[in-house]
Amino acid sequence: MLPRVLVCGQYLLMCHLPFPLQHLISESRSHFLSSFGPGGPYEGTVALYRRNTSSAVIGKFDAPLIHALADTSKVRWIAQSSSGYDEIDVQACKERGILVSNTPRANEDATATTTLYLMISCLRRFSMAERSLRSGTWKTPCDAAQTHDVTGRTLGIFGLGGIGLRFAHLAHAFPMRIIYFSRRKAESVPDWCEYVLSLEELCKQADVLSIHVPLNQSTTGIIGEKEIRTLRRGSVLLNTSRGRIVDQEAMIRALEDGHLSSVGLDVYPDEPRVDPRLLTFPQCTLLPHIGGVSAESSRAKELQALRNLKAFVLGGIGEDIVPELKTGIGNSTML
Amino acid sequence: MSPRQPRILICGSALAGNLVWAHEEARQFFDGLADLVVMDSPNRADFLVGLKSGGKYDQIVGIYRHNTSADRIGVFDEEIIDALAETGTVKWIAHNGAGYDQIDVSRCANKGISVSNTPGAVDDATATTALYLVISCLRNYAWAEQSLRQGTFKSGLDPGRAHDVTGRTLGILGLGGIGLRLAHLVHAFPMRVVYYSRNKSANAPEWCEYIDSLEGLCRESDVLSLHVPLRDETVHLVGEKEIRVMKKGSIIVNTARGKVIDEEAMIRALEDGHLSSVGLDVYPNEPLVNPRLLEFPQNVLLPHMGTENQDSQRHMEVRALTNLRDFLRDGQGNDLIPELRSKL
Repeated sequence: MLPRVLVCGQYLLMCHLPFPLQHLISESRSHFLSSFGPGGPYEGTVALYRRNTSSAVIGKFDAPLIHALADTSKVRWIAQSSSGYDEIDVQACKERGILVSNTPRANEDATATTTLYLMISCLRRFSMAERSLRSGTWKTPCDAAQTHDVTGRTLGIFGLGGIGLRFAHLAHAFPMRIIYFSRRKAESVPDWCEYVLSLEELCKQADVLSIHVPLNQSTTGIIGEKEIRTLRRGSVLLNTSRGRIVDQEAMIRALEDGHLSSVGLDVYPDEPRVDPRLLTFPQCTLLPHIGGVSAESSRAKELQALRNLKAFVLGGIGEDIVPELKTGIGNSTML
Repeated sequence: MSPRQPRILICGSALAGNLVWAHEEARQFFDGLADLVVMDSPNRADFLVGLKSGGKYDQIVGIYRHNTSADRIGVFDEEIIDALAETGTVKWIAHNGAGYDQIDVSRCANKGISVSNTPGAVDDATATTALYLVISCLRNYAWAEQSLRQGTFKSGLDPGRAHDVTGRTLGILGLGGIGLRLAHLVHAFPMRVVYYSRNKSANAPEWCEYIDSLEGLCRESDVLSLHVPLRDETVHLVGEKEIRVMKKGSIIVNTARGKVIDEEAMIRALEDGHLSSVGLDVYPNEPLVNPRLLEFPQNVLLPHMGTENQDSQRHMEVRALTNLRDFLRDGQGNDLIPELRSKL
């Protein structure tokens, strides 16, 4: 039987691939997990194409799912079609010899653009102004004393990966002063990108703090009470990464007492739920996790995920393996 | 008795009439040079009486003007300019803002009154506003936020309608200070930047491509951004014909003046989908906004926020006051408007 690829989540392109694609037909997790055996609809599946939209039907790829998948199937590769892969338990994948790839570069531009939008909107209070206009009050609630030019302010980038660096370039056009903190000083960054030695130092100096680290155990809640209070009074916090990186309670307290002048968010701890208290601050800009969503980037992500799959199916190894699994590459990944 | 110092009239904000940000700068600029008088007239009649000999604005030589003064005394039309000329002392109007369409400048020219604006001071803030509108229209951010705030998160949004900024073509109509500043901001992505002005700009970088007609500009642009002043010849400059020359699904961004676009033609093009969305900061009859514009969730509609922030507004006040100071000290301010330069 030919190796098969199972598509978990919406698939947009009609792209010719030299192997059969099976679409997800399950309406529950249990059906999904019991369909890989002989005669099952997913029999012979060696790799999965995955989008987060599949969670609505079969749930996240947590440890129980990964272990059950490893027990019942020949799946050795999960090609996630996005840069974030926090819905996949990569430690469980590591234990069971399943590799995971993501699409690290495909939505850098789209996500950095979203961050730029949130920054302008928060500094100038444009989102609030739009709502004022649409509710018939023109610019009555807008107060110029609360708003600032973008040019000349200090942008602190937490995590200078692809998205952070791309955002730095866009903000440099004004210019803003750009400082960053990452676990390591990045190589080949422009000289106007200034490395600071700690997250605390980053918070101390930034007018706008923007988060571009992935969500994992060590980054959960990493922007908490202490970091937020280290920011200057009136600072702006932007998050286009993952909601749980910020301690939401601490953030809301800082909005309530004015320590944060506003926040620009594209991500939330329990999407699609948005804490209703966030909606009570008119100066905040709140997007529904569309950071990387554009016709062009959706296409780029899908193509990249499919390229990773194709390389695996045809050659035994794909590209863009997530960092946590790169060290464990060995014979186990061969078909 | 020492002769009185010249007097400067501050026609400022709607509330107090005074400057908002630059009190300290004003004190430094005019200390020993002129006395500042705040225009406190509740209406035009009171203002005109005040200008007369022996009135409260007697011996005024220069005027600082902000558009908000129109709330009380109206725009600086023929009647006001004539009254200013009648004083025989008023020789300079330092307007705070880039656009001076609320001043009858040809009347000023006839009456020998100079007018300055604040050209450079608004460039950054207004170009940033235009950038925001460009990004939001292309990516449907305003629509997305409405969806979240209505409790539907992103269901109902069509990702196929959202487009990356990078690689698209921005057409700039009028490559003055604001247009050029916007060009620099979008070049970071980069977008392809094309422009049309009456004259090819000497300041344009080589990646800014000149198109020799408005029609050509409309044809090339994915997003058309307007940066021309409002004058008789720019009223409805972008009308039915220009809009229909644009590609289907194009976007128009306007941070200049509402009347530069034929609003009816624009709304028709939104209705039939020829324009995918518009990003507007200005409207023909502000603060009135045509309610039909609100029917399109994809439109991004700001209430004339172009320069609304403390950093830029301070710069603008200082720039306008600098023109007045230079006029008093040297006989001439720097930012004399183009229409009056030839009269010198």
